[in-house]
Amino acid sequence: MANKSGNAYALTVLCPIRGGVQSHTAPLQQQLQTLQVNEQSPMAKVPNTYLCRFWVLSDVPYQGKPGFLDHLKSDYLVFSSNFYGELDPYLEGMWKALETGIRVILSHCVDGDSVSDAESFIEYIKRCKVATTFFFNGSTDEPLAQQLKNLYLKQEFSKFAFENQGKSASDLQAAFRAFVLRTQPDNLDGPTWAAGAYHLDKVVK
Amino acid sequence: MSNIAGKAYAMNAVTPMRWYTAWWNRLFFGIANLRPSTTAGLATLSLIHYARWVIIMPGQFPNLGKGQPRENVKYAYMIFFSNFNGSWNQYVDSFSSAIPRGLDLFWFGSIKYPKSVPVLPFHRYITSNQIWTDYYYNAYPMATSNDVKSAKRIKDALLPFIADSQRESPEEFLQKYNRLLINLQHDISQMGPNPVVSLSASAVERNLGKEREWREKN
Repeated sequence: MANKSGNAYALTVLCPIRGGVQSHTAPLQQQLQTLQVNEQSPMAKVPNTYLCRFWVLSDVPYQGKPGFLDHLKSDYLVFSSNFYGELDPYLEGMWKALETGIRVILSHCVDGDSVSDAESFIEYIKRCKVATTFFFNGSTDEPLAQQLKNLYLKQEFSKFAFENQGKSASDLQAAFRAFVLRTQPDNLDGPTWAAGAYHLDKVVK
Repeated sequence: MSNIAGKAYAMNAVTPMRWYTAWWNRLFFGIANLRPSTTAGLATLSLIHYARWVIIMPGQFPNLGKGQPRENVKYAYMIFFSNFNGSWNQYVDSFSSAIPRGLDLFWFGSIKYPKSVPVLPFHRYITSNQIWTDYYYNAYPMATSNDVKSAKRIKDALLPFIADSQRESPEEFLQKYNRLLINLQHDISQMGPNPVVSLSASAVERNLGKEREWREKN
């Protein structure tokens, strides 16, 4: 099974949703659809999350005759995440960042109330986890902090190259030294791009 | 509910396959895992951030007890997740053009799979089996997959350039700087939010924003 490609991990989780007389699917979807987005997304606080998604699998598709008509007996909350690193530290980081939100979401899932701390959260996820059969990593194999710094440098260096065209050698060298001091290329903590930011005036932190 | 986060699109497709042929698919994927050269065509689709295929055999849907009924499906199910840039049509067309035989191997034994060529039946197959995303997060919504890769190339070139150019004369610096620009000419570009390509998509985003504000106040 290929949950990993290089250092990137493909986590796929199917959490069964509480059914019965009062199904929890609709309120769960309502909560998911009204979560904050971009830099205010709760997932922006979870370290090393590249891209992730939530959706509900209510039933399996029917292809028509002569195929069989299958039905699922439960709805499932599908969570898939592409992140850097190993599973346990990632889930620990997720619990640390989002404990309250996780408790709310899992209150709609079967046995979700058994989750009370990071350890039980990791165990719960592993019970709901399905193995990835094939994972294709089309990106770079670096931690998110490095990728965000790279993007910041690309943006700033592109601006620098454009704005300093035609300058004399000494002026250019002086400007480049100032550029290096300002952008601190070795410093992953900052200045850099903020995770999830989607506006030019909010992206640099 | 959105399949889009910045410049990335989240596709989810669930397709049934005969459980007794799903083993073949697992074998094909296993070979692809061991021999990355078999997926060289996939690597040419530089618009993909990450993609995965997950085969769930009939007895493998998670069951946590506590009264949850056990699933009793006849088929195995393959879930395909993709994170890519560009439009849905561009992506499906690219897939079909770049790796038609690969797709046919991946979806071998799937119920009523029409093959990847011709492309319109393949479009219909994916559309009818696609499930919408309820929430999608992207750590770099202003960047495409190519931007992420080119940013790494810029960083990899810039750091040694900075180290090497500390004590040079301005003229030596200028020569090396110009060479740096030539080497990075395909990577230097500025990023920003998507242009408005769909008025209805923009309206959805505005309305979602208003709904969130209303919920926060109430």
